[in-house]
Amino acid sequence: MGIVMALLLALAAYFAMKAWFKEQEVEAVNRELVHENAERRRAEEAVARHAADLERSNAELQQFAYVASHDLQEPLRIVAGYVQLLARRYQGRLDAEADEFIAFAVDGATRMQGLISDLLTYSRVGSRGRAFEPVRCEDVLKQSLASLKLMIEESRATVTHDPLPTVTADAGQLHQLFLNLISNAVKYRGGTPPAIHIAAADRADAWQFSVRDNGIGIDPKYFERIFVIFQRLHGKDEYPGTGIGLAISKKVVENHGGRIWVESQAGKGATFYFTISKNLGRKQ
Amino acid sequence: MKASTSGSLIEILMVEDNPADVRLTREAFKDAKVLNKMSVVGDGEAALAFLRRQGRYADAPRPDLILLDLNLPKKDGREVLEEIKSDPDLKRIPVVVLTTSEDQRDVLKAYDMHVNAYITKPVNLDQFMKIVEAVENFWLSVVKLPPK
Repeated sequence: MGIVMALLLALAAYFAMKAWFKEQEVEAVNRELVHENAERRRAEEAVARHAADLERSNAELQQFAYVASHDLQEPLRIVAGYVQLLARRYQGRLDAEADEFIAFAVDGATRMQGLISDLLTYSRVGSRGRAFEPVRCEDVLKQSLASLKLMIEESRATVTHDPLPTVTADAGQLHQLFLNLISNAVKYRGGTPPAIHIAAADRADAWQFSVRDNGIGIDPKYFERIFVIFQRLHGKDEYPGTGIGLAISKKVVENHGGRIWVESQAGKGATFYFTISKNLGRKQ
Repeated sequence: MKASTSGSLIEILMVEDNPADVRLTREAFKDAKVLNKMSVVGDGEAALAFLRRQGRYADAPRPDLILLDLNLPKKDGREVLEEIKSDPDLKRIPVVVLTTSEDQRDVLKAYDMHVNAYITKPVNLDQFMKIVEAVENFWLSVVKLPPK
């Protein structure tokens, strides 16, 4: 009897201990979970805060670029205007040196105007996006080709394209994008008339477009640099321009949840690729 | 297009606060084919006083054409435009807004307030000269202005 009692007691104690240990274990896991939860929440809050910070500083930068370029234009217009007036009125009436000085001043002022107006365009691509809506890329391409009609005719370029999709986008920005890429393809042509082909491929969650040309091509070591604002690979006598086109193109593509890149070899033409996300219900 | 409009003098009122801009516009109008006289005021309040012949503008001529900048001290060009176009005595005078603002909202608002033309000042002098020439040609020769 005593033995049975002792056994029962031992058993009870064993189970009680076991339960107690289990409880401790559960509690420990719980504590860990609570801790982990708190940590995750803190991390999420930190990410959200950084995202908000980034968004704010981006908006501020855009605003800054817009205001700076817009307000800079005003006094520059006066400087350029009067220097040009000097050139107009006094060209050849002072001496050769004066003519040269005036010419340099006119050239500098004109170039700065170009840069500022490009900077303004660039900042607008980010800050003045319209609502995204379904856009037929074939229509946009048609428009872009119409804008480039003269350039295409003069260079005897042929532009062909595959069927293009309808995407959700800002039509104006897309027009600008096609315009930039096609005009580059014509501008940086080789010895033969430009042959440009535009195609699109379905890539699950994005459309991938390509603009292929047979122009002078780009050395791979410059692949990153060409997308940076005001970066140029050629002297301005060789190919005019400020170096804004691809920077704007990049911004447009990024606004559309995509990326842009180039494949090329010097002398062997270039193909620019860009993607447009399929998940753009509204402006990001 | 050289309508030598019966040789009468065309009165222009320019509302512009930047003297450098005033001079540049004057230079451009200098070669005008039509005889014109340009008066200049530097802010919106002065513009309205001029048009209403108040205070020191008691003897001011009634302009045939108003060139109006939008960003002005005291009373801003948008308010001046609104006052002109809601004043039965002044609303017939054609107002051409000449501004650096390319802001869509400014353009729309100006036309809502019955501006006669909205022009953005080009940055390039040659283009500016061409625009002044076009303004001059159109408003001083082509159109039939309301009788004074």
